[in-house]
Amino acid sequence: MESGFLEIKDLKKSFGSGEARQEVLRGMDFTVRKGEFCVLLGPSGSGKSTLLNIIGGIDTPDSGYVSIKGDKLEEMNEKQLTLYRRKHLGYVFQMYNLIPNLNVKENIEVGAYLSDNPLDVEEVITTLGLQDHKYKYPNQLSGGQQQRVSIGRAVVKNPDILMCDEPTGALDYKTSKEILSLIEDCNRKYGSTVIMVTHNEAIKYMADHVIKLRDGVVRHNNVNDKKIPASELEW
Amino acid sequence: MKNPLIKRVPRELKSDWHKYLVIIVFMVLMIGVISGMYVGHDGMLESVYSNRKELNLEDGCFELQKKASPELLEGLAAGEKADVRQYFIDKGITEADEKAAEAIEEKLVEEVTNAIKENVRAMCAGYGITDEETIREQTEAAMADSFETALKEAKNSEEFRKAEAEVYKEVHDKVTEEVDKEWDKIVDRYDLDDEYTPVKTLIYEHFYREEPEKAGDHEGNVRIFRSDSMIDMACFNEGRAPETTHEIAIDRMHASNVGLKIGDTITVGGREYEIVGLLSYVNYLTLHEHNTDLMFDAFGFDVAMMTPEAFEELTSRLHYSYAFRYLDAPSDRVKKADYSAAFLKTLITQALVNDNAIDDYLPEYLRQASNFAVTDIEGDSVGTAILCYILIGVIAFIFAITISNTIDKEASVIGTLRASGYSKGELIVHYMSMPLIVTIIGAVIGNILGYTAFRNVAVNLYYESYSLPKFHPVWSSTALVKTTIIPLVLMFFINLFVIVKKLQASPLKFLRHDLSKSKRTKARRLPSWAFMRRFRLRIFFQNMPNYVVLVFGVIFIMLMMCFAFGLPDSLDHYAEKAPSMMFADRQYMLMDCRDDDGNLLETSEKTAERFSAATLLYPKKESSFRTGMGSGGDESVTVYGISKDSSYVKMEKETRDGQILISSAFKKKFGLAEGDTVRLKAEYENKSYTFTVAGTVDYDGGIAAFMDSDSFNRTFEKESDEFSGFFSRNEIGDIDEQYIATVITAEDITKVTTQLNHSMGGIINVFKYVLIVLAAALIYLLAKIIIEKNEKSISMVKILGFMNKEIGSLYIIPTAVVVVLFSIAGFVAGYFLMLWVFKAFMMQMDGYFAFFMKPSSMVLSVVYLLIGYAFVSVLDLIRIRHIPLDVALKDVE
Repeated sequence: MESGFLEIKDLKKSFGSGEARQEVLRGMDFTVRKGEFCVLLGPSGSGKSTLLNIIGGIDTPDSGYVSIKGDKLEEMNEKQLTLYRRKHLGYVFQMYNLIPNLNVKENIEVGAYLSDNPLDVEEVITTLGLQDHKYKYPNQLSGGQQQRVSIGRAVVKNPDILMCDEPTGALDYKTSKEILSLIEDCNRKYGSTVIMVTHNEAIKYMADHVIKLRDGVVRHNNVNDKKIPASELEW
Repeated sequence: MKNPLIKRVPRELKSDWHKYLVIIVFMVLMIGVISGMYVGHDGMLESVYSNRKELNLEDGCFELQKKASPELLEGLAAGEKADVRQYFIDKGITEADEKAAEAIEEKLVEEVTNAIKENVRAMCAGYGITDEETIREQTEAAMADSFETALKEAKNSEEFRKAEAEVYKEVHDKVTEEVDKEWDKIVDRYDLDDEYTPVKTLIYEHFYREEPEKAGDHEGNVRIFRSDSMIDMACFNEGRAPETTHEIAIDRMHASNVGLKIGDTITVGGREYEIVGLLSYVNYLTLHEHNTDLMFDAFGFDVAMMTPEAFEELTSRLHYSYAFRYLDAPSDRVKKADYSAAFLKTLITQALVNDNAIDDYLPEYLRQASNFAVTDIEGDSVGTAILCYILIGVIAFIFAITISNTIDKEASVIGTLRASGYSKGELIVHYMSMPLIVTIIGAVIGNILGYTAFRNVAVNLYYESYSLPKFHPVWSSTALVKTTIIPLVLMFFINLFVIVKKLQASPLKFLRHDLSKSKRTKARRLPSWAFMRRFRLRIFFQNMPNYVVLVFGVIFIMLMMCFAFGLPDSLDHYAEKAPSMMFADRQYMLMDCRDDDGNLLETSEKTAERFSAATLLYPKKESSFRTGMGSGGDESVTVYGISKDSSYVKMEKETRDGQILISSAFKKKFGLAEGDTVRLKAEYENKSYTFTVAGTVDYDGGIAAFMDSDSFNRTFEKESDEFSGFFSRNEIGDIDEQYIATVITAEDITKVTTQLNHSMGGIINVFKYVLIVLAAALIYLLAKIIIEKNEKSISMVKILGFMNKEIGSLYIIPTAVVVVLFSIAGFVAGYFLMLWVFKAFMMQMDGYFAFFMKPSSMVLSVVYLLIGYAFVSVLDLIRIRHIPLDVALKDVE
């Protein structure tokens, strides 16, 4: 694994002003290596989604920086940030955020369209077990199936970083494990760096790198030497 | 406690103020315009109607060849059909009696002379005189002495009286026999066997003169009436009636058109008069010189008032025009038609038996000059109201779509409220409140503007076009109903329908965002096109309801565009073609082809060519009460008799008796073809002529038919050398003016277009720009809905890395395709609809005028709409750029 692929340095972010001012990130430092499965763990309000948004280039820090392969996001203009997201990132959200008027295959093609080096759409559909549903609209699918499509849309880009924001937050236990297994497979099969935000403690056991956040700071930054497959997770 | 949801309404208004501002401005303009039109139109009509009574508007008028005798006027007033049979018998007997009296006298003189001669000869023989010279002398002496006495005695003899009575009886019987023999023909010709109830009338002298009018560069024709006339009186918009022989009052509209005002001097019939009043005659609300004119002509034609003394000083021909009023006013239009038909029969028979002839007859209900403006004002407001209701309907659908999207967005909230006990009715009331509040705001502001600014716009617009009396504002309850109630009802029902349908789902379904009806159906498969193209197609399918409303709006606006571009184009086209619509630069119509001494009128002008003309009627078959003898409802057809080898009218073939060539306008207006049979009726007689169409003459200037001049004279029972006038390239100077009835020049043909351009030109340009704004506003509102509906998707694809221009192309191109395609389709529909509308309109009018659009206008009408759309697209791009990335993340936070 390449060291210092993603570097977060003294990141600070606050919302509101005056008495209502709330510091969400209070100086965060860590690095993520290429191909690593990194879990950002923390309770509600720990700043993990804000951190993910800043890493994803859809929010900006008050101070500090995020750099990917040495390029600092703070120095990029809007167009460069769009290109950054286009070329390097794949997103998986808790609420799937699929485009309602596109069918399964087309939602995955949304990702493929953006990439210079996309994976084969049909192959991704097969990998995700969506062959029988590829012409259905999102509202014709269950939550688990929708999340599979969301993962498909993210991985088909063959992104450098797969950003997962509480991907199992809206799913039941069984489906959650299936989804985690899929993300694990993608990490292994396609070599994408995975940054997953979750409050589920059990998920840390499948990660290479676990960063625990609380009150806007990193409390623990550990490498997990004894990672276990997602299918064996229990909670 | 009040429903707390109501607090959302002002907040929603505030948060989406620009959308509601567009809608409210749209509504205010629409409602303000209708309100202004109704208030203006109601007030104007009220003024017109009250003037009809106050200024004693006629029920009809007629013109006679000479002044009517007291007997004729008496007969007309009584409304009785004259005894035509007795007239012909009396006329025959008078003529026959004269001849019989002459013959009897001659015979008696001969017999008395012979008797005296024989007596003298017998006496001479008694005295043995045989000398013939002596006998002759004696005879002469006896003749001198006793002829008169003998003649007197003979006349007094019983025998003579008996014989004379027998002769007269025989002659009278013969005359009656002759009249009876011809009676069927006479009955048929004058419709005498048609019984009718006599219509009593009051007859008014309403003589006028026509004189040339000059003021500066302006030259025209003025029809002058006396100031002491008790019928068809005038309302003074400005100034007063003339009081001296040097004063004149002229039509306000005409004065305004040619730039005359009170105090100016004009030359009428070679004399100068000072304008002291600007008036509006109750029977000349539009300046139609002739009732058959396609359009009034407030430039070249004027009506005026002079004192009786000044009127008598004029030298032009006196028109023996009479107006009448029914003693018992007819209640409706059908009754008016019946009364008019009855009066016309009276007029025909009475004129005949009183040795007069009818030059013109026109019942008031068919009089363009007094009805055109009224019908147009009524039509304007109805037309405008319909257009506005269509637009308000479109706005109601836009609201319905917006609310439908809001309900989708707020599904979980609605589910929660329903689960908590809120009734469906309470939610319906909540979602209905916004469109109704906006409509009420629009109606209130619109009506305020309608009663103030827009009313004046409407009234000024009418004053620009017509010679209307002074305007008296009145409270218009129609305006209130049509501008407030109808829009509210439209808004209420359209939204109610959509909202009730949308809120049908159960609370659980709302909570689960399970509102789509198509959930169980399979997704639509698309061909394997490029991904972006399929994406756009999906957006198109997703927004079908919006596009349906958009298509409806675009087509509607294109129809209006076709009108806005087509009308001036048609006018220009007509004006350009006007010179080719003239047979000759000058067309002289003569009063008679012979001078006072009975000699045929001749001219030394080399380019002059004789022609004959007659006016007949072609039935339009449009409505029952506008057809028939003298109704004025049929199409006037000028039938020309053209010389062989005419250098003015190119006849493609010679016509035999019973054949005609028709003008291209005649052919187009009534869809006639070669070989068709055309039946043309005489104007004031029940006489008709049947012709076969043998071909066409390329002439769009009027409804006309052509035949060989010899054939014309035979057909119309004219003498072989008779004719009606001259076509000429140059002015004819050697025919006395008293024999010339009219001279037609190119200006007479183009006066229609000049007038229409003046009345509508400015408004049409404003209308074009209003349409662009309207199109832009409509597309803005619908495109906004599409983007708002997809805000989350747009935010999501932004997060995924789509560029703004890519997103723009996704969400703008489908709308662009719809707008472009349907603006072209709308144009085609609009173009053909206008062709049809123009033709239908022309069927109601005399003459012909085809709809025409220049190719550049065709392109521009589409381009104008696209300019409006381009402006909206820029706004859409800005809107897309401003959609924040966190919209997609909101559910996660």
